[in-house]
Amino acid sequence: MDYPKFVTAVLENDRKQLNEFSEVLTRVLIKFLLVRLDANPADAQDCAQNTLMLVIDKIRANKLNNPDSIIYYLFTTAKNDYLKLVAKHRESHFEEVPDTHIAPADQLENILDKERQSILKKCMELLKPKQLKYISYWFEHPDNDASVVAAHFKISVNNAWTKKHRILQVLKDCVQKKLQQ
Amino acid sequence: MSTSNKKDIYGSIQRYIQGQLSEEEIEALWVEFAKDPTLLDRLEIEVGVKKIIQEGMAPSHSKGAKLLFLNNWGWHAAAAVAILLVAVVQVFRVDTPTQLSEFIITGIPLDQVETTDGIRSKKEMVVLEADSLMNLGFAALVNDNKEQALSLFNQVIASYDEEPYASKAYLNRGIIHFNDGVFESAVEDFIEAAERASDNRMISEKAYWYLANTYVNTGQLEKALEAVSEAYKRDGVFRKPALLLYQKLSYDLGNVDYEQAPASLGEKE
Repeated sequence: MDYPKFVTAVLENDRKQLNEFSEVLTRVLIKFLLVRLDANPADAQDCAQNTLMLVIDKIRANKLNNPDSIIYYLFTTAKNDYLKLVAKHRESHFEEVPDTHIAPADQLENILDKERQSILKKCMELLKPKQLKYISYWFEHPDNDASVVAAHFKISVNNAWTKKHRILQVLKDCVQKKLQQ
Repeated sequence: MSTSNKKDIYGSIQRYIQGQLSEEEIEALWVEFAKDPTLLDRLEIEVGVKKIIQEGMAPSHSKGAKLLFLNNWGWHAAAAVAILLVAVVQVFRVDTPTQLSEFIITGIPLDQVETTDGIRSKKEMVVLEADSLMNLGFAALVNDNKEQALSLFNQVIASYDEEPYASKAYLNRGIIHFNDGVFESAVEDFIEAAERASDNRMISEKAYWYLANTYVNTGQLEKALEAVSEAYKRDGVFRKPALLLYQKLSYDLGNVDYEQAPASLGEKE
């Protein structure tokens, strides 16, 4: 994600570029809210869009241009916007609004999409038995680090990482291909 | 991004999934995701693969059977043999009575005990305590210390009346009672687990399936039938044994035709 180009697109009002960047950033923010705040998809979508509008306004007002500040602002604003929304929901259900918010633990499985997940399963069935055995070992022993996996398969730690990376890449490509079909 | 930097990030993604990152490390990782959103695809693939493997993927690896074609006389001969076989089977068929006990489980293995998934950040102490209690309960059971396990699951029920903890704790307590033959308590726990996990297909399916088995043990067959139909409708791992038990119960209770069970469940077989 090229943030300086994003800033330029905002300042020059380059609609085409702006749409492309907005799509990517919205996707990141939605996933952030789903995983980190356990938001429901509809709320996540609303908050991500609000956040993006606020960021664009800030950039236009020349109050934001540094990539790190933009990223920080994006996440902080998305989080605050979501918490405000949650407080609003609570107001309509309870007389007293709690003044503290206990952040839920990260819900990584919220990142998964049902359709993509079923395609991923099909892609896993297409893996070679050796590849499936290897990747299954990684995930069946979640507390193991690469050196344990490397020792188990009698390969170097570097090789262990490379092998895992390749298999995940094969799966990623397979999902992508099937989604485009 | 340099290769070594990317490798570090992949390492962080793995540790994130394992719940081994601190809050600061998680925040830093999300900054990386914002800088390179394709890394989120990697996260998604890893979480997805982990989930599939944990759910017990049974890859078929079937490469597709080689098709062999029969010529005309072959088809006629095969059809004649099939007709002959059907006729012989009809003549010599003897009804084999089945026992209800053949359709139920005698004990619940430890791998059915629920733990927490561990996909959590390290610093959320409120949630982590419930996670720890659940996992300690499981560890106590593995070490054959049922009393301690019961006490830990009781603690979760008393202190964390929220999902997914309460339903899992009730389910685990029900499993202990079932295996101890304390069926009345098991019934109460499985009902509680099923009701609380109404949004969690996997847990509610388990709870209803074990509830049905418990009811059979207490002789409450109508209630067992209701519970097993709920388990079947959840269309999960117990679907097949649930269907068989449903058919058997229906037959024994004289409710429906044995063959019609799937239709009466409102599901397609």
